[in-house]
Amino acid sequence: MVDLMNKKKFEAEHRRLGKFPGLSPDERVLFAMSLSATPDERWDRHERFLRSHGLFTRSARKAFGFR
Amino acid sequence: MSAAILQGVPATTLDTDFWVELPERQFVRLTAIILRLEGTMLAPTVAALQDDTLVNFLPRVDGIGKFDVAFRRAKRIRWQGMIVPVLPLELILKSKKAVGRPKDLAHIPLIRQVLRLRKKSSSPIIRASPAAGGGHC
Repeated sequence: MVDLMNKKKFEAEHRRLGKFPGLSPDERVLFAMSLSATPDERWDRHERFLRSHGLFTRSARKAFGFR
Repeated sequence: MSAAILQGVPATTLDTDFWVELPERQFVRLTAIILRLEGTMLAPTVAALQDDTLVNFLPRVDGIGKFDVAFRRAKRIRWQGMIVPVLPLELILKSKKAVGRPKDLAHIPLIRQVLRLRKKSSSPIIRASPAAGGGHC
């Protein structure tokens, strides 16, 4: 489900970052997503990323070669 | 790097560092906390929590001076229902420069970029209050 409040915050941040030179379109989206999020949202996104790569559990990380 | 992620740096990390002002000989007290939380000690300063989150306890953080000075500059972030003191990005950047391992140096451009972009941004961070206690992550 789309969170309208977050969408508005994201769009505002995305517009604001449009003023910064040197950002590629994908960087602009990436940083706008990160900067417009709350700490909890940032952490959830980080954990989802690790899970999506099978890196969240110790056993999975070991299988990837992490100590 | 957890503190940087909470402050908007789009990166990932596999563990969370806690800077604790405790002599290393007293780290057994941290072990007691971990065991009470049903976590596992993997090394004297490294623990795995029940959900496999890795936690490192640091007796010092290179490049940013003493704990109490850094603690006064800590940002208080609302995270998972708690107010958590974290090192501000400026100090994380200094520390990463001082430590200088490849994985620290790799994060420097991202932190710098967020510092640059965050200016005049309304990032949801609560400013430091002098009365708060605890550690940094």
